[in-house]
Amino acid sequence: MLATLPSKCVRSRLLRARTFSFEAWRQTVLADNQHVNALVHIPESVDHGASDLPLHDVTVAVKDNICTKDMPTTCSSKILRDFTSPFDATVVELLKTAGAPIVGKANCDEFGMGSLNLYSAHGPVVNPYQPSTAPGRERERRSAGGSSGGSAAAVASNMCHASLGTDTGGSIRLPASYCGVVGLKPSYGIISRWGVISYADSLDCVGVFGSSVDYVRRVFGILAQYDSRDPSAATPETRAEADVECQRHMANWTDASSLSGLRIGIPQEYFPAELSRAVVAPLKTLIASLRDRGATIVPVSLPSTQYALSAYYVIASAEASSNLARYDGIEYGLRVDPPKTADTTKTANVYAHTRTEGFGAEVQKRILLGTYALTADAFDNYFLQAQRLRARVRTDFDHVFRARNVLSSSPHRAAAPDGVDVLLHPSAIQTAPLLDAARADGDLSAYVQDVLTVPASLAGLPAMSVPVGTGSDGWPIGASVVGQWGCDEVVLRVGQVIEDVLADPKV
Amino acid sequence: MLVNARRTFRLHRLAHARAIHEHRPLVEDPRWPGWGVVVGIEVHAQIKSRHKLFSNTRNAEPLDLPNTRVSPYDAAFPGTLPRLNASCVELGVRTALALDCKVQPRSTFDRKHYFYADLPSGYQITQHYAPFATDGHLRLSKSDVSVRIKQVQLEQDTGKSMTDRRRRVTSIDLNRAGAGLMEIVSEPDIRSPEEAADYVRTLQALLRAMGSSDGNMEAGSLRCDVNVSVSRLGEGFGTRCEIKNLNSVRFTTIAIGHEINRQIALLEAGEEVVQETRGFDEDRAETFALRSKEDAPDYRYMPDPNLPPLILDQAFISGIKEGIPPLPASTKDRLLELGLSERDVDVLMTIDATIDVGYDGEARRGAVAYFDEVSQGRSPKVVVNWMTNELLGQLTLHHDLHSPTHPFQNNPVSVAQFGELIDLVESKRITGPAGKTILRHIINNSSTATPSALAAELSLLAGEDVDASLKKWCEAAIQALPKEAEVVRRGNKNVVNKLVGHVMKSSRGAADAKAAKSMLEDMLTS
Repeated sequence: MLATLPSKCVRSRLLRARTFSFEAWRQTVLADNQHVNALVHIPESVDHGASDLPLHDVTVAVKDNICTKDMPTTCSSKILRDFTSPFDATVVELLKTAGAPIVGKANCDEFGMGSLNLYSAHGPVVNPYQPSTAPGRERERRSAGGSSGGSAAAVASNMCHASLGTDTGGSIRLPASYCGVVGLKPSYGIISRWGVISYADSLDCVGVFGSSVDYVRRVFGILAQYDSRDPSAATPETRAEADVECQRHMANWTDASSLSGLRIGIPQEYFPAELSRAVVAPLKTLIASLRDRGATIVPVSLPSTQYALSAYYVIASAEASSNLARYDGIEYGLRVDPPKTADTTKTANVYAHTRTEGFGAEVQKRILLGTYALTADAFDNYFLQAQRLRARVRTDFDHVFRARNVLSSSPHRAAAPDGVDVLLHPSAIQTAPLLDAARADGDLSAYVQDVLTVPASLAGLPAMSVPVGTGSDGWPIGASVVGQWGCDEVVLRVGQVIEDVLADPKV
Repeated sequence: MLVNARRTFRLHRLAHARAIHEHRPLVEDPRWPGWGVVVGIEVHAQIKSRHKLFSNTRNAEPLDLPNTRVSPYDAAFPGTLPRLNASCVELGVRTALALDCKVQPRSTFDRKHYFYADLPSGYQITQHYAPFATDGHLRLSKSDVSVRIKQVQLEQDTGKSMTDRRRRVTSIDLNRAGAGLMEIVSEPDIRSPEEAADYVRTLQALLRAMGSSDGNMEAGSLRCDVNVSVSRLGEGFGTRCEIKNLNSVRFTTIAIGHEINRQIALLEAGEEVVQETRGFDEDRAETFALRSKEDAPDYRYMPDPNLPPLILDQAFISGIKEGIPPLPASTKDRLLELGLSERDVDVLMTIDATIDVGYDGEARRGAVAYFDEVSQGRSPKVVVNWMTNELLGQLTLHHDLHSPTHPFQNNPVSVAQFGELIDLVESKRITGPAGKTILRHIINNSSTATPSALAAELSLLAGEDVDASLKKWCEAAIQALPKEAEVVRRGNKNVVNKLVGHVMKSSRGAADAKAAKSMLEDMLTS
C-alpha cells in the first residue's frame, strides 16, 4: 500500500503553473492513478484553448457517463466496455468552446448506481485524502463515495482543477463530502442533459466538483446554458424569473463580513439517529460563526423527509429499468450470443444473455425492482404513490423557503418573510467508510446515507457540499447548502461565505 | 404531475362507462340472421411530416436504402433525448379537428415497454394516459352512419425486421424507427365488414385532405387493428377478438367476415369465444390465434420522464382551425354547386386522392386546386371540359406507363398558360383544334411560352389557313424526301410515315399527324 501520494504536491504546482504542461501532468497522474483509480481514460494529448478563453486555465475531468466523441464512454459498465459515443455531450462542447483542457474520463458507479463507487467495471475508487493528523501512517483504503467518486477523487488528488459529475440522489454531494472537495448539484434543468447517459431522467443532474467554490462557480457559469436538445431544460424565461426571485432576497448581504439578512434553516429531520457525533461538531462550530456574523439561524421542519427515501428508490429504479432497456446488444455495446440450445422464440430470451453478462449486480437489482414497480399490478401502489410523495417533499421545501418556486403551478404564494434563504445540514452521516468494511457491510447503510441527499433530488433543488472540517478520525466532513429551485447563485454565494468563514484564522 | 395523472385515470373510466350506454344498437344482417356484429377499429396512420416525431431525421422515402435515415436518437444511443416535432403536433391537431374531436389543452407522453429488435430503446413513446384529442366522430361516405372516435394519440413507429427463415437471419431496418404516427381509435360503432371498409376509406380521404398522412395501406403508411365481436340480437356485446396488422381495405373486409363466421360457428356449437389477439393469413383468407388474453404482455406504461406535458392553448388550436383545408365532402358539394357534373367532380377528386401528399401539411396543388385557379374569372364548365377532355387526355398519352406517379403530377401547363389558351379559343382568336395543337406542343416540349406566342409561331392564329400551312409542310416534305415520295406514289403506303415524320419535325409538332398523313396520301396518289 502507498504511504502518501508524493506527486500530489508536484502536480499542484503543475496545475498552478501559468502554462499547463500536459505531458508533465500526465506522467504524474498515470503513476498516482494506479492507486486512486480516479480516471479510467487519460488521453494521449489534450486540446488547449486560446488564453483569452474563460476556462483555458481550468483542467477538467469528465465522469464516464457523459458522452465524449474522442474518448470512450463506458458508464463503468461491462455492457458499454468498448463504447465510444458518436457525439459530444452539450456540457463537453461547452467546456471545449470555453477552452477547458479535458484531461480524462472519471470512474463512477455503474450507470451512476451506488454511493461508494464500489460497483464499477474499472474497480473501486480509493479516496486520495490523507489525514494530516496521522502523518506517515499507512494509508487507509477508504471509499471516495459515489457514484461520482472518480470525479471527486480526481479533484481531491489535484489531477485537475474541476470535474464534471452527475447527481441523481446524492452522487455529487456525497463523494465531495468524503473527499474534502466542493461539489454542486445544480437545480434540475439548468445544465443540459444531452449526451448524459440516463439513469433516472427526472432526477439526473450534471454538476461540478472543484477544489474551491470559485472553480465550481467558473465552470458552472459556462455550463448553465439553455439547450434546446434537452426537453427538460428550463427555458430562458423561467431562468430569468427565478433569478429575479432570488435576487430580491440576496440584496441584504454581500459577503462573509456581514451576513445580516441571510436566513439559514436547519432542518431537524436531517440529523437522524445514525448521524455520527463527529460529523455534528464542525457543523455546530460553523453555524455559531455564521450567527456571529449576523446570519439568522432558524430551526425548520420538512416532515415528508421520512418518505423521501422510498419514493426515491421506486422512481429512480422505475426510470432506470426503462432507460436501461436499450442495452440489448443490437445497435452497440456488448453482445453475448445465446448458446445454440437456447430458446430464442422470444426476443427477451435472446437479450437475457447479453444483459446478464453485461450488467453488474447492483444495476440488475435496480432494474428488477423498477420493472416490478411498473407492472400493471404494482403501478398504483408503487410508482403513483411515489409520485405523490415526491410532490409532498417538494411542497415541504416550498413552505420553508423565502423565495417562491417559479416552477410551482399553484397560485402565487404570498412572500413568506419568516422563510429561509438556504438550508444547511450535514452532507453525510459519517466520514468516508473503509472500502473493505463498506463491501462487507452490504448495502443498507449506504441507503440510510441517502436520506440526507435524496430530498433535494426529488425536488430538483440546487445543493452544494462544502468541506467544513474533519471528523475525529481526521477525515473530511462536508455540509450541504440547499436553496430554492433556480437559486443556484444563492447556494454558491453561501458556499463562498462558508469557505471564507472557515479560512478566517479566528474560527 | 401526480394529481393530474390521477384525474386523467378517473376521467378515462368515466368516459368509458358513459360510452357503453350510448352504443349504436345492433343491426340485423341477412347474411347472419339473428346475430349482430360489433366492430371497432384502431388505425395507425403515419404522419406526413418531413422529420420524425422526436428527432431531426428526415422521414424515409420508399426507395431509400435500409438504415440510411437513422440518427443516434433513432437508434437509441445512450445520451440522446427526444425533442417533439411541432409539425407532427400541428398535423395531428388538424386531423383531430377534422374528426370533430375535443383537442385537449394538456396531454402527456408515456413509455410502452417491450423487447423487440426493431424497437431499439425497448419502449415506444405514446399517449396512453392522456391522449391529445378525444370524443370525435367520422361520418361515413356511403351510408348515413356516424362512427364515434374515442381518441387520437401521437406515438412513435418502430423499425422493420425482416426474417429470412432459410438463413435463420433477421435484418433490422431503422429507417422507420421513430417516425410519427397518429393512432385513431374508434368506438365499437361499426356493424358490418362493408361499413368497416367505408370507415377506413373515408378516414383515408380525410387524412389526405388534411395533408396529415398518405393513408396508403399497401405502402404501410396506414395500418388497421380491428376488434370484432358478435352477439345474438337483443343481448349485450359479445367477447371480442382483435385482428392485428391488416394492410389493405380488402383484407380488412375479408378478415372481419371470416371472424364473424368463426365466432358465430363457435357460439352456435355451444362453445365460447375466447378473448385473444389474432392474425390474418392472406393466402387462406382466415384469421388465426396469435396470443390469448393470459399471454397479453404487460407494457409497464410509465409517464415519460423527459418530455414535459404537451400544452395546446386555445389560440394555437384556433390558428390551426382557421387554416384547415376543406373536407372531401364539402369540396364535392362546392364543385357541384359550380355546375360541374358528378362525373367531372369524380375525375378531379380521384386525381387528388392519388397524388402524393405534401410534407408538413404543405399544400400540394392537386387537380381541384388547379381547376379553382384556372376557373377564376372563367366559366367553370368550360374549364373543367378542357381539363378532363383535353389536358388529362394529352397528359396521359405523354405519360410513362411505368411511372408510379399520376400523370397530373407532371403537368407542365401552368395555370396562366392554360387560362390564356382557353381564352384564345373562347374569343375565337384560334380554333378549337388549334388550341389542342398548342396544348400538345406545350406538353410535348414542356414549353413555357405563352399560347398566343405559340399560336403566332405555329401560324395557328385564326384567319390563317391551317390547311395552307399543312400543305406547305407537306410539299416541303415531298421535296426533301423525293425517293420516299416516289415509293409511296408506286403504292407502298407504309413509307408515307417517313414523310409525316418530316412534317412533324418542320412544324415542331404543331401539325396534326393524321391530317398530314391523309393530305400526303392525297397529294401522292392523285
